[in-house]
Amino acid sequence: MPKLIIDNREIEVPEGTKVIKAAEKLGIYIPRFCFHHALGAVGACRVCAVKFQEGPVDGVQMSCMIDAQDGMKVSTADPEAADFRRSVIEWLMLNHPHDCPVCDEGGHCLLQDLTVAGGHGIRRSKGRKRTYTDQYLGPLVYHEMNRCIQCYRCVRFYREYSGYSDLGVTGIAGRVYFGRLREGILESPFAGNLIDICPTGVYTDRPSRYTGRRWDFERTPGVCIHCSLGCRTTVSARYRQVVRVEGRFSQQVNRDFICDRGRYGFYYADRPGRPRNGRINGQTVSAQQAVEEARDRLQRITQEHGPEAVGIIGSARSSLQTLSALVHLCHTTGWQGPVFRNTWIAGAAADAAVRALSPENAFSMREIETADAILAVGADPVNEAPMLALAMRQAQRTGAEIIAIDPRPLDWPFDFAHLACRAEEMEETLASAAERLSASRRPVVICGTEITDDGIVMQAADLVAGLRGSDKRAGLFCTMPQANSFGAALLDESNACAADLADRIETGQIRALAVFESDLWHVFPDRSRLSTALEKLDLLVSVDFLDTPLFENADIGIPSLTVFEAGGIYVNQEGRAQQVRPAHTGGLPIAAAGLGDHPPRSFSPDVPGRDMPAAWAAAFSLSGQAPPETDAQMTAWMRDNFAVLADLAHMEADGVRLFAGRKVSIPDEAQIPEKKPDQFLELLPAPTIFGGEPMSGHSQCLRELAGLPAVWMARADADRLGIADDDRVSLGFENIEVTLNVRISDPMAQGVLVVYRHPDIDWQPAPDGKRIFISEDQIRRIEKA
Amino acid sequence: MIRAVIDIIVSIAAGFYTTGRHLFVRPVTESYPEYKRPLPARSRARIILTRDPEGRERCVACYLCSGVCPVNCISMQAAEDSQGRRYAAWFRINFGRCIYCGLCEQACPTSAIQLTPDFEHIRRDILDMVFEKQDLLVDLCGKDPDYDFYQHAGVVVGLAGKGDHISENPPVNTRTNMP
Ligand code: SF4
Ligand code: SF4
Ligand code: SF4
Ligand code: SF4
Ligand code: FES
Repeated sequence: MPKLIIDNREIEVPEGTKVIKAAEKLGIYIPRFCFHHALGAVGACRVCAVKFQEGPVDGVQMSCMIDAQDGMKVSTADPEAADFRRSVIEWLMLNHPHDCPVCDEGGHCLLQDLTVAGGHGIRRSKGRKRTYTDQYLGPLVYHEMNRCIQCYRCVRFYREYSGYSDLGVTGIAGRVYFGRLREGILESPFAGNLIDICPTGVYTDRPSRYTGRRWDFERTPGVCIHCSLGCRTTVSARYRQVVRVEGRFSQQVNRDFICDRGRYGFYYADRPGRPRNGRINGQTVSAQQAVEEARDRLQRITQEHGPEAVGIIGSARSSLQTLSALVHLCHTTGWQGPVFRNTWIAGAAADAAVRALSPENAFSMREIETADAILAVGADPVNEAPMLALAMRQAQRTGAEIIAIDPRPLDWPFDFAHLACRAEEMEETLASAAERLSASRRPVVICGTEITDDGIVMQAADLVAGLRGSDKRAGLFCTMPQANSFGAALLDESNACAADLADRIETGQIRALAVFESDLWHVFPDRSRLSTALEKLDLLVSVDFLDTPLFENADIGIPSLTVFEAGGIYVNQEGRAQQVRPAHTGGLPIAAAGLGDHPPRSFSPDVPGRDMPAAWAAAFSLSGQAPPETDAQMTAWMRDNFAVLADLAHMEADGVRLFAGRKVSIPDEAQIPEKKPDQFLELLPAPTIFGGEPMSGHSQCLRELAGLPAVWMARADADRLGIADDDRVSLGFENIEVTLNVRISDPMAQGVLVVYRHPDIDWQPAPDGKRIFISEDQIRRIEKA
Repeated sequence: MIRAVIDIIVSIAAGFYTTGRHLFVRPVTESYPEYKRPLPARSRARIILTRDPEGRERCVACYLCSGVCPVNCISMQAAEDSQGRRYAAWFRINFGRCIYCGLCEQACPTSAIQLTPDFEHIRRDILDMVFEKQDLLVDLCGKDPDYDFYQHAGVVVGLAGKGDHISENPPVNTRTNMP
């Protein structure tokens, strides 16, 4: 381990550490533009110059390019080095536009900071500035190329780190250009990170363009709730409104970056249609009145028909607070539920994953990056858990072999072997592919729970158990449907699904239903059954922060707070409970509260619209109990009342891992999914990155990226049916008729039609164990006009 | 002793002489408010938002004045117009709090915000001291009459294309390898 002296202080660092990193360890920050700890060093910007006074290297050199070596004596403050750095900044400013006041980077701009730090205030050059034409990069990222300082961070992130190739560098000499190689919008679903990674204002956030300066934002540590990974974010809010979400470093989860769904998914929180008032039989009332009315009517029904006449439904997009309050609600009242599973099968797969994961086999995303072989079964990270794709990409960059077993067409930003097979063939394919992992030292099995059943999850867990040996570590990594699917499975005692409640509604057993933050309408497999069942109810209560069709049709609607207003704890798919702090106070945003073109001119301590409860508080109120008063009291209450949540007391920066502590068991009997009949095709609804998830689906900018609703089919099927790429077809099934564009893909499983969730396809049923088969003559090609 | 007495008499006489002389000189006191003395342009009182030489709003809602203001009395909301110009959708100064330090004017990169000599700036109701953008915006350029920020900036806002602003070269061709 080399020992060196930096600014008269000695430090010992591991072999291969760059001097700039060694200095960081001493708390000395050497200026840098091109160096980034996730991307490494290229020595492009020359601003990290330091003086090597003694030792193997001599003179002013780039600290990011030189490995720390024994006997080095380095000075960062040496006048020669400081002068060098100052000149570098001045050269960079030669061509820099006079943009700071109208540049969204201003205020958190590295170039601005270093220019000020270097003391370069007045332009001395009389020369003219170089300019570039900009590109339209899509609805997320704004391009202003004049501001570039050629640090190459963007292309290194985009091409090397994340594996997409449509953005790159062109031109030579003084005309080097960073942008898309062809006109068009950025293809990477991680493109938003360009905004964070660019040290200047070349890439800025388009949806929040010109909304404020970072110094004015309330910045709060958050956790993304748009998929099960739970990436760390920083939420910027202003005037009771979220303005921007950025990636926040986390050692174990997402490291530095987040995906675009996480970055832009927050617009549901202040869209105009969001419920902010209570509703009783179509009449607008205050949130409190709605809560009281719901409480009274539920109590009346309980008195008349007994507690079994009331059912409670929750969902995995709620916080752990809400989920545990619902369990408690049913305990104390005797009401039925709470039901957290939309369908039995989806719940069973997630439940199997929760049971299979243990401290010995659960891998974090960080550990995936260092895996040397990855087998993914029924998991499509780009669409289900996007940042997982980046972690897999890092593993692949260091040589990991990646195998995918999946019926869907897979578009991943790295090389992998795709074994396309249908659900009924998955088990066999998995067994035979397992061989290929035996030679590796750190294999990981990634298992999805959205299109697979519990049998596959168990099989994956067994496979991992078999791979573990004295000299190697094998890991299991399961993706789940929603942010708190793990938490819901931990607390779910009833193991019932929404269909079970529907049964009981149909038999008249259940007369009132209270639905908490659930989009039942979109995912319940049999919609006509659901709507008749709901009509049969005496009372339907909906508690939500989204204006779902269910909320619209409920007898009583209670608006609830979003994660930005209420915070909460979310348990990601590896069992990591992470705390989210509220980012701003609840209530009407200033922009909406003001009349005309400025905020209200009256001042009072009351915030309009402040009376909305958090869903967990509403759950307490429905049974007439007073909810714990503060968030801390609520967390303590959860710890005390639920044994599985006791470890919340040990919450650290990286969260705390909660495990069910139940051992893996071989499934009672392997349930091979029913075989696909001949002349039929399986219709497989599948999750998709943009537009398919209930919350982020409300973001206009992401809807733009969702494209047109499409059905994907294998080339062999298309040829047989005489359908070509880009044709339009209409699919008829279960009294539903949808018209979709055709995309042909190879490889993907034959005999499968994949329809990705899309905001324009109103109904995207979750699989309910019964697979949907549609006969070939129900697929009609529509002649184009 | 005699010397001291003479000194006393001389100084008393000088005092009376000065007093007596002023009985016959015009007074220098200005009677305010009957007479209002013209103040230099740099005097620091009521704040205005000025316009550029073409009459467009100068303020680009950069938040520098609100950032520098030691008493936090400026607030605004930036927005973008159809031309791509950044401007203040609303802009508010609470004069009940302003200490007329002039830091906002110093910070302003566009010469939009300026303090003026108009110090008669008192209202009976405290809320009337809260000025909105329409109360602040004037129809003149103020102290820096020729400056137009957007002519110097690199962003395109409908005044000129890329490379056409002051001291810019035309956009480079990135698709050629010729030197
Ligand atoms: S990139 Fe930074 S230095 Fe350049 S205009 Fe924007 S804020 Fe100013
Ligand atoms: S666009 Fe930004 S990240 Fe890319 S080279 Fe230029 S300054 Fe660096
Ligand atoms: S003069 Fe001083 S106190 Fe008044 S608005 Fe300007 S910066 Fe603020
Ligand atoms: S500093 Fe000037 S341009 Fe910037 S917001 Fe204030 S008045 Fe407007
Ligand atoms: S940080 Fe070392 S050259 Fe850019």
